[in-house]
Amino acid sequence: MHDQMVRRCRPILGTFVEIAVPEAAAASIDPAFARIEHIHARMSFHSEDSDLAALRRARPDSSVHVDSATIGVLRLAKDLYHQTDGVFDAAVGRQLVEWGFLPQPAGYRDKEWIGGMPDVEILDEAHVSISRATLLDLGGIAKGYAVDCAVETLLEAGAPSGIVNAGGDLRVFGEWEEIVHLREADETLGASLAIRNAALASSSNLHNRRQHRTHATSPHVLGEAPVLAGDAVTVIAERCVIADAMTKVAIACPTTAGRVLATLNAELIDRRALGATH
Amino acid sequence: MAQFSYRIIPLAALALAVPAQATVYLTVEQAQNQMFPRQSLTPQFRTLTAEQVAAIRKASGESPLSRDLRAWRAADGGWFIVDEVVGKHEFITYAVSLDSSGAIRDVEILDYREAYGGQVRDPRWRQQFVGKRAGQSLKLGGEIRNVSGATLSCKHITDGVRRVLATYAVALAHA
Repeated sequence: MHDQMVRRCRPILGTFVEIAVPEAAAASIDPAFARIEHIHARMSFHSEDSDLAALRRARPDSSVHVDSATIGVLRLAKDLYHQTDGVFDAAVGRQLVEWGFLPQPAGYRDKEWIGGMPDVEILDEAHVSISRATLLDLGGIAKGYAVDCAVETLLEAGAPSGIVNAGGDLRVFGEWEEIVHLREADETLGASLAIRNAALASSSNLHNRRQHRTHATSPHVLGEAPVLAGDAVTVIAERCVIADAMTKVAIACPTTAGRVLATLNAELIDRRALGATH
Repeated sequence: MAQFSYRIIPLAALALAVPAQATVYLTVEQAQNQMFPRQSLTPQFRTLTAEQVAAIRKASGESPLSRDLRAWRAADGGWFIVDEVVGKHEFITYAVSLDSSGAIRDVEILDYREAYGGQVRDPRWRQQFVGKRAGQSLKLGGEIRNVSGATLSCKHITDGVRRVLATYAVALAHA
């Protein structure tokens, strides 16, 4: 079955995005890549042309025009913020800049970034307003969202099955089984899974630490403090955006993740249990 | 929507499922057809001079891996350039297409292979393959394909593309 498929790969979203579909549906790949590139352009923290940059520059309570995809991601980020009692938080840009995980955007020193997710209000399908300066980073959710959108585009273009893999955050659809190897926090390879009709995302920070003043930090934030996790986590879900976002919750607060995952049609992969079968 | 499903793969089965080679996405010719459909491309291979290499390094902060520049001119004035980068573990060939003004149109990965077996560090895991597919198994850890965890960074490609743009400005723009 894998013989008649086309696989392509582009550098987008800060990683390698791979798309594979049956050869007959090869023409669906270009629009799927275009969709991911669009989402990357709208939600990039680094670019001054993105919707995030427009939201950073906006005056308090002004209505800011953003892409419908940005609305989709912000809506989900707000929902998850509430469902996880704030554990999933996209308003962590200030910490990530201070700790050196993100670059200082233009005008960073001109504002006090005191706002949080509750300050972000979605006005309609094209407008957002923010009541207090909030530095949003959608790095924990946009990649999964882009994978889902790419799958949607592939399906619309007639691909009956396939896989979209954005640097390990991936989704398999149709009558297709894909074998996925899980990388542990220490970068060794752990268990392997065969997945079907599912999205999978993993997260760890053991090898992504930075020293800030006297203490170690990571790109995972809980209550303004860094989360230093020894193990990697993997979440399987129907949608990649859920898998992607919930790995961050599982890293920061396993109890909260356990409570919320089932309601989101998602599951934490127990790596220890998998390892024991080897 | 159908419920997702997954099952654990026994390692014996896995050894057979492991792809035998590093991942090849597109050949140079396939990438040319992809990026410049139905256009003739004329090879414009150059050997960069020491002065050009120095200018590229100054403009991009990156030194070319090779002085051989693999560039093709498209009928519409665009350019197709094949380049390589070496990361910590990986060795990547990629293609960049530029429009006639020298702006980037697309970047596609042609192939991706591991420079050495660095990423599969667990000796127990490696041991499973000894005598079965020795050597090939070491490629697995570095592949983009189907490894979930510690996200692979494409920073080397970003740096490489910046160098390709500097190369274009130095060696091709006034061709």
